[in-house]
Amino acid sequence: MSLFIRLCEKNTRIILTKIPNVTASFATTAKPVDIESTEFRVLNLKSKKVENTRKKTRRVEVPPPRANQMAVDQDWPSVWPGPKTFHPAVVPIPIRQGYSLRDQPPPDKYGNTELMKIPNFLHLSPPAVQRHCEALKKFCTEWPVGLETEDKCRKHFPLEVITSDYCYSSPTIREPLSRIVTLRVKLSSLSLNAHAKDKILRLVKDKYSPETDFITITADRCPTKKQNLEYAEYLLTALFHESWRVEDWESEKAEADMEYYDWDKNKSRTNLLTLHAWPNSPTDTDWECIPHVEEYKIAVSDLFNTGEDLHTVNKYKEAVKNVLNLKCEA
Amino acid sequence: MAIFRTLLRQVTFQKVLLGTKRSGVISLTNNYSLFPSTFIKGTFIPSEQNKLKESGELQKIAHIPIKPAFNDETSSEFYDPIVRKFTNYIMRKGKKVLARNLLEKTFENVKRIQLEKYNSSSFEAQTEIELNPTVILHQALANCKPVLELMPMRRGGVRYQVPVPIRESRSAFLAARWIIEAAKDKERTIHLPEKLAWELIEASKNQGRAVRRKQELHKQCEANRAYAHYRWS
Amino acid sequence: MVFYTQSLLRRITSGHVRMFGTALEAIKVPEEPPQTFRTIENNPANHTIDHMNRFYTIAPEIQKQLFQHGGLTKFFQKQVKTFAECSILIRQPAIEIISYIRQSDYSKPPNKYVLYGEFGVGKSTTLVHLIHYAFATRKILIHVPWAQNWFSRPRETANSIVHEGNIDLPIDAAAWLVHFKNQNHYLLSELDLRVTKDYAWSHRETTSNGTPLLEMINFGINRIKFASEIINVLINELKEASRDGKCSTMVAIDGYNAFFSEYSAIRDDNKKVVPPSRVSLTHAFLNITKSDWCNGIIVVAVDILATKDRRESYLPRFLLNKEGFEHMDPFLPVHVKNYTTDEFEIIAEYYKNRKWIRDISKQGLRELQLLSQNNPYKFMEYCTPL
Repeated sequence: MSLFIRLCEKNTRIILTKIPNVTASFATTAKPVDIESTEFRVLNLKSKKVENTRKKTRRVEVPPPRANQMAVDQDWPSVWPGPKTFHPAVVPIPIRQGYSLRDQPPPDKYGNTELMKIPNFLHLSPPAVQRHCEALKKFCTEWPVGLETEDKCRKHFPLEVITSDYCYSSPTIREPLSRIVTLRVKLSSLSLNAHAKDKILRLVKDKYSPETDFITITADRCPTKKQNLEYAEYLLTALFHESWRVEDWESEKAEADMEYYDWDKNKSRTNLLTLHAWPNSPTDTDWECIPHVEEYKIAVSDLFNTGEDLHTVNKYKEAVKNVLNLKCEA
Repeated sequence: MAIFRTLLRQVTFQKVLLGTKRSGVISLTNNYSLFPSTFIKGTFIPSEQNKLKESGELQKIAHIPIKPAFNDETSSEFYDPIVRKFTNYIMRKGKKVLARNLLEKTFENVKRIQLEKYNSSSFEAQTEIELNPTVILHQALANCKPVLELMPMRRGGVRYQVPVPIRESRSAFLAARWIIEAAKDKERTIHLPEKLAWELIEASKNQGRAVRRKQELHKQCEANRAYAHYRWS
Repeated sequence: MVFYTQSLLRRITSGHVRMFGTALEAIKVPEEPPQTFRTIENNPANHTIDHMNRFYTIAPEIQKQLFQHGGLTKFFQKQVKTFAECSILIRQPAIEIISYIRQSDYSKPPNKYVLYGEFGVGKSTTLVHLIHYAFATRKILIHVPWAQNWFSRPRETANSIVHEGNIDLPIDAAAWLVHFKNQNHYLLSELDLRVTKDYAWSHRETTSNGTPLLEMINFGINRIKFASEIINVLINELKEASRDGKCSTMVAIDGYNAFFSEYSAIRDDNKKVVPPSRVSLTHAFLNITKSDWCNGIIVVAVDILATKDRRESYLPRFLLNKEGFEHMDPFLPVHVKNYTTDEFEIIAEYYKNRKWIRDISKQGLRELQLLSQNNPYKFMEYCTPL
């Protein structure tokens, strides 16, 4: 057992000694030693320690940031002519960005990935934009005569198309949201009669806003903007023509189908006529000559159409009192 | 021997610990209140508040925190502590709203009975008729209050019913209980407020079952007066 | 601290009130206390705006004649018994309607008045006042104390013989005939109203032309099988008589909107719910509230409690529904409101006089007023245990 251990020790020693040899062989490749010529080979049990010389890295001389030498009145658009990732040495502003530890300011601009990640608009400085505009001016035509004000524009071009374009620094220039087209038109600019107006409102439902009087149609089902715009225009055209069409069954509409109370078609009117003509049977012709009938009509319609509260009930009471020719003494 | 000593020391130490623990427990059991013992009990009755103000007591306690009133105590003119207590005696299973309604209906019935009597009697007799149901309740309770009670005591292997004077609160409780028990002994078709109203009016006139029960108890106490000394010996 | 100061403040004012209160008691003379809250004008025919906010008393025999079979609310009936008198506060809605009744043109169809208001404001009591007025001015009374009773608690149902698919309520109809007879028998015999057509009820039982109306009513009471149909006929006859000027009629229906409800407890042979529109009594009383007769007055009260299905609002159009509105239109809605401060004081004074409440300070009354929010029913309720 002990023998075995010793063997092992020997082996390990051999392994250990081998290593410097290997290194030595590398070092001595330049001047090979003639092994045959030497008489005795000396067993170097204790090899000389080869000093591990550390590799000296040469430091590259970094020039000071360019921003330090920039003049105050330099031409910035020529320093930063196009869209580019943020560079701290070029931008002469002490910007800080990012999350800071407690009691410390946010990291400064040098080596700040937060600043490099976000898109910047340093190439869109006001003088740069102005220069762009100046360059584009020669391609512009004159503003049309007669469209000087907003109101005039709205009057002559009631249709409003709203689309969105997107610009950012992703590899793709396509943005799915840019396909959406919104078409806006005022209901009053459509020149509809009462029937058509009622019908178009029923058709568009919540796409009409009574506060602003706008009908808003949004199309996003097609993949491109052009297709969506065409679809929205088609929808508006279809709506317009459909609202003008009168179907046969529309004449069969009953009282219950109407959303509003029409006094002229209701029993309240016949009641009043019977009352007025008593004891004769009522005739339908002269109802307008009944005193206070207009007030009564409005009161009853209000009771149904605007809803019942103490105000409308009192209004109705006053109207009935006038119709029946009664005066309150108490 | 040394071991024994250390053990003893440990035991005594533990005892001390236990003692502190127990004292802590005791202080908890004594005070279930939400409010610390520094809080004093205020009053919600306007007349008492006025008294406090006049005597200058209010200035003294101005900065001492006060416990709030219970939610069935009001400073209203119609608040009566005896009525409140009686409501709680009527109450079963914590149904206070029901108990209060029952008592209110009872008062209504009392009033109706008394008013009909009042309207049908002559002017001289009218002044003697009490119309206030609260006063009738007070009167009825006062009339039913016993002075003595029989307490069973074991002397020489024999149980003796010993007459014993009772506390004010106990006698008030017994009076209320007797009236309510008398009112509950009724036909199924008769409602409690009707019977209770009748019992209250009877008791206020020193008649009725509750008063008779008190008298019977007094009579028994009188009969057992020979055992009275067992209270002490 | 806040608690203390508040109650102390309250205490100070109540102290002043107490002093004032005792002074009032000292003035009171036991023999004949000055009763400023009453009016001696007990005939409602003479009531005008000057009698407003005063109590008047309905004589016991009149009360018995008019309201023996219903009309007074349950609570009010109890109060009448306890107070040993039937006194009513003369309030603005009643006076308003009486003034309209005086002005209106009786050659035209009857004017319709609809009393409305929240629960417990006194619609039924206003109706009681108006019924007494009609009685005092010698009008035939067609009074339904609470229409809902027929539909929520029918006592017996039978299929109608005359109208296929309709349901009769024989006992209820007979009970109403008794009520009608009790209210009107003096006037009917005095005016000597007679039947104008021949009616055959069965092979043997007929009512021929010229029979007094009372006789037909008695027949209806005895043969309850025909009571519903007799009510129908009676109402037609009364309409005819009013149109001819033989009598003038007042219709008073409490809980009128029950007729337009979808709900009822009546079941037909197939155990299906019968809506009030299929009950023969409904037809009779909708017939009398039409505008095709004259020389009459129609006063109805609409109440949230009269229907089970429509209880969101107490306003008349909502309760009547569109159908009911068209039936009644044009009508005069009359709002019965909670007590005004004046009325509240008068009521409190009346209760004190009747010993219903005793030795209550002004502060206590104020507390009751705020608690009840001036609602008559609530005030009555809060006063009961005091």
